[in-house]
Amino acid sequence: MAVDQGTGTSDTWDATQWHEVKKGETLSKIAERYYGDSGLYMKIFEANRDILKDPNLIKVGQKLRIP
Amino acid sequence: MLKRLFAPVVVVMICALFVACGSKEKPLAEQAIKAAEEALNSVKSDAVKYVPDKVKSVEDAIKDAKASFDKGDYPAALNAAKDLAAKAKDLAKAAADKKAELSKKWEELSANLPKMVEAIKSRVDILSQSKKLPAGIDQAKLDGAKTGLASINEIWTQATEAFKGGNLTDALAKASAVKDKAVGIMTSLGMQVPEGAKG
Repeated sequence: MAVDQGTGTSDTWDATQWHEVKKGETLSKIAERYYGDSGLYMKIFEANRDILKDPNLIKVGQKLRIP
Repeated sequence: MLKRLFAPVVVVMICALFVACGSKEKPLAEQAIKAAEEALNSVKSDAVKYVPDKVKSVEDAIKDAKASFDKGDYPAALNAAKDLAAKAKDLAKAAADKKAELSKKWEELSANLPKMVEAIKSRVDILSQSKKLPAGIDQAKLDGAKTGLASINEIWTQATEAFKGGNLTDALAKASAVKDKAVGIMTSLGMQVPEGAKG
């Protein structure tokens, strides 16, 4: 399984799991990658409510928390 | 003739000199050993928790000094014991330094391990709801993570209890075990391991 390196903080002990959005990705695809189930995309949306207003609108380069 | 008469006298004088020296060194050796024992006893309870090897070294040196004393070798006993009180007193500083070092490590681990455990718990909870596991993770890995998580919680409780009970060394050993287990689970689940937890 591919692992993205944490990019959202300089805290060396930060356990937050991060994913940087790439071209063509959707929350469903990201959910499938990390959870194996695209239907769990709302977990990611809920964890990123501070930067996401709509689960269908994510931007390339955005750093999302993956709970 | 004269030489024959004086020879025993010289021998007696030399013996008397040795006895005189010995009797002078006996109380000094006794005093030095007593001072070393008192100095050790005053710091031992704390020192043995943090620098047990150094405590043992001073204890062994006191034993050696006592052994020499018991054999009547007072100069050797004095020589062995004369610096021991100072060494015993140094244990207090060594213990304080070690305690400060361990406390710093404990603060770091106790502040950060719960975040790692929380991240693992969150991922395990979500994976448990998944209809199909992602590439690289099978049911055995997920079950292993669940078991590991339960074990982590148990060891972490023991670590915090050891800390509350003043057993910093034990608390740290258990916290390190928690860290290693957490790193293992994160790795098996393909999660990012915090830099601070590596190594």
